[in-house]
Amino acid sequence: MAIDTTVLNILQDLTGEDFSARGDENLFDAGLLDSMDTVQLLLALQDELSINVPVSEFDRSEWETPNKIIAKVASLS
Amino acid sequence: MKRRLWQLFGPLVCAGVLVLGVLLAPLPLGRLSDSAVASAALSMSPNVLAGARAKNQALSRDYVPFFGSSELSRLDPFHPAVLAAKYHRSYRPFLVGAAGTQSLTHFLTDQSMLKQLRHKKAVFIVSMQWFTRRGQDPRAFDFFYSPLETVTWLLAAKNTVADRYAARRLLTMRAPSKDAQLHGALLTVAAGQPLGDTARQLLRTRLQMLKNEDELFSRFGVNAHEREVAAGEKLLPNQATNSQLDALAEQAGVTHTRSNQLGIDDTFYRTRLANGRMAKLAGSQKHFDYRFGPEYSDFQLLLSQFAKHDIDVQFIIPPINAKWAAYTGLSQAKYAQAVEKLKTQLKGQGFKRVLDLSQDGGQPYFMQDTIHIGWRGWVKVDKVVAPFLDGKRQPVHYMLNDHFFTKSWRQAVVGG
Amino acid sequence: MIDWQPYANPQYFVVLLAALVPLIIGLYHGRRLHIYETLASLLFIVMMFTGTKWHEGFALIGYVVFQVALVQGYARYRQTHNGTAVFVLAVLASIAPLAVVKLTPAIAVHPSILGFLGISYLTFKSVQCVMELRDGTIKRLPALSFLRFLLFMPTISSGPIDRYRRFEADYAQVPTQAAYVEMLGRALRYLFTGFVYKYLLGYVFGTLLLPQVAHAALVRGGLSWPLVGYMYTYSMYLFFDFAGYSLFAVAISLVMGIDTPMNFNRPFLAGNIKDFWNRWHMSLSFWFRDFVFMRVTFFIMKHKLIKNRIRVSQVAYLINFLVMGFWHGVTWYYIVYGLFHAGAIIINDLWLRYKKRHKAQLPHNRWTQALAIFITFNVVCFSFLIFSGFLDQLWFSPMHH
Repeated sequence: MAIDTTVLNILQDLTGEDFSARGDENLFDAGLLDSMDTVQLLLALQDELSINVPVSEFDRSEWETPNKIIAKVASLS
Repeated sequence: MKRRLWQLFGPLVCAGVLVLGVLLAPLPLGRLSDSAVASAALSMSPNVLAGARAKNQALSRDYVPFFGSSELSRLDPFHPAVLAAKYHRSYRPFLVGAAGTQSLTHFLTDQSMLKQLRHKKAVFIVSMQWFTRRGQDPRAFDFFYSPLETVTWLLAAKNTVADRYAARRLLTMRAPSKDAQLHGALLTVAAGQPLGDTARQLLRTRLQMLKNEDELFSRFGVNAHEREVAAGEKLLPNQATNSQLDALAEQAGVTHTRSNQLGIDDTFYRTRLANGRMAKLAGSQKHFDYRFGPEYSDFQLLLSQFAKHDIDVQFIIPPINAKWAAYTGLSQAKYAQAVEKLKTQLKGQGFKRVLDLSQDGGQPYFMQDTIHIGWRGWVKVDKVVAPFLDGKRQPVHYMLNDHFFTKSWRQAVVGG
Repeated sequence: MIDWQPYANPQYFVVLLAALVPLIIGLYHGRRLHIYETLASLLFIVMMFTGTKWHEGFALIGYVVFQVALVQGYARYRQTHNGTAVFVLAVLASIAPLAVVKLTPAIAVHPSILGFLGISYLTFKSVQCVMELRDGTIKRLPALSFLRFLLFMPTISSGPIDRYRRFEADYAQVPTQAAYVEMLGRALRYLFTGFVYKYLLGYVFGTLLLPQVAHAALVRGGLSWPLVGYMYTYSMYLFFDFAGYSLFAVAISLVMGIDTPMNFNRPFLAGNIKDFWNRWHMSLSFWFRDFVFMRVTFFIMKHKLIKNRIRVSQVAYLINFLVMGFWHGVTWYYIVYGLFHAGAIIINDLWLRYKKRHKAQLPHNRWTQALAIFITFNVVCFSFLIFSGFLDQLWFSPMHH
């Protein structure tokens, strides 16, 4: 499965919302994602794409929109 | 880039220039209105006491300084300020002092007034309660501390026993020692050295800043007491002799001391002594002793100033409520010795005007509460003070003696 | 004598800014004067610990030597190995001096000789480096760079807590002239806002009002209106004093060409407790979020210690705020303060979830928002009353009058 679909699926699991058409929405400002969800996101990425993202790598400004997350994951895989 | 820098820092530069200008330019000394001076004369506020403007303007009109401490705030109808206003006396009291002001504070508070007081008169109520082993309470000193007056004194200080002693005493207080500039100057004066030209120049600049601060801000935070005086005036007849006033004072005392057997004002008793607090105070002053300590030399600082400026001063030594003294176990013998010692210091140097009321503490309604003169006490003060201030100034002959700055005097026992 | 405690009085700023003039000119012309900056910073740090504080100065030196050796040792080890036990040991060793200093007052009369002003803030920086070395986000950590980060003068005593990679990137790169001028402009604004906060409002609340309400509350004893007054006065004092201080630290950092993160973002306008912690003492709460909360949840979830996701976050909050409480000091009121905030944020989370489920039924307008701010503000002020230790004085120590 492509990275973007996987990420969007994970985000939908976490927030209950579909972001396929809302790639530039700020997830933290909108209160859709919190620290707890981020940890789940990182774990899900590990499980589903087997990419290891350490917590230190997680800088909110680089992970704040679905598009940014996809780009970040792509760069790490 | 220059433009942007100016946009960012221009306002800062302008503000800096303005602040410096306001602090350092010799501002024109505006005349205070009569009501502002009258208000300041009654306020007993720290900023009025520590400032110069209100005091100076008052002295250039018909005000006479009444130095003292907490008793000044007992503004009953027989208080000097009320009597002077009601009976249109030739003088108005300027109240210099509040709870916590002692000789050392008065010594500084005086500095800006001395020039104007030269060859004039003053009234000084000296409390024996100041004369503890420790002398000036350091916290009270800090509260009333005036950098303006301290700098004024430093610029006039000379290599004399008095000035060296004063510098040493000020160095034991916290507020002047925390001020780097003044601390250095005090050390120089204490060592008997002259201040350097640069130090003097810096002190003069500082003085200008402090004067401007006083000019700008002394009008704020002046406690208003005019209403109390006006209320007191209403209770007085338009004309009265001293003995008529005494009878009225007795009546006032009777109506205000119904709650206790000690002749203490009801409000004072209710707020300070009632609710079981009295029991704890029985015998609490058994060890009080006013015979020794630095206050005797601090007081000498005042005397040398009064002498040097040829000021005719009426001293008043108030009593202690005799019933209160008995209840708290204060030793009357030691108290009498302390009064004797103070009178020796005064009379031995030519200060002849001493109204010693120390034996009047047993007279009914003489005291308003425990140690503060009130009703009949004020009337008795008026009997001496009014003719002194209304009358013509008499020549005085003071003979200062530096012995009173020594430890041996501070430790001395006078009288039997 | 000027007081060399950071930002203690106006003279300090005059001396400090005068000392920084060569640095400012250098940065304006695109150069960082490394040696001058190091010497000036060291001078101000040394002066902080002169006089009666000399023993703290020695404690600082000992502490720095220890941390440099530890972090450098771990960095070298990490190049070739990645054992979990060694990592845990390194973190524990890094925290050990602070733990000793914080525990000593609880068991002994005298404060620990290892203590000095700023030890907590240095520990945050050091632990952070160890953790990032473990994660591999910091690969190289030259001793000099680490020292520069650890001992950055404007923030040494009370933060804000910067991050190594962010700091190092700022340091390595000299801002353009236009960017630097804007930084100076911000510095100026922060400085003067800080003056208003710390020297005017902090003074009014802390020096003029606080002793009066404290006295009134002690005289009344128990629950009283003056106690409520104390709660609000103390909260205002705490904010204006600390926010002012933080503004100074950020401003001086900016003058030195470093964009230290801000510490406060209008915290009393927060709409809930979670929001509050994103606005109050931000550099600390983000540190705790990144290095305690997220790691605890990560650990629990990865090892599936707790299945229920909600339970995981609740446990993590509890640990997070309990650690924060202990960090403030080992007294009942700091720990209760931590527990109180853990409780508040857990309840807040429950409410947010409830709100999400009942979106349709619950009104949402500016009145409900105002109500939310009002409630949050009062909950926070109450927590500061606990934090102040005043209740300890009120309940457990007899009056000395």
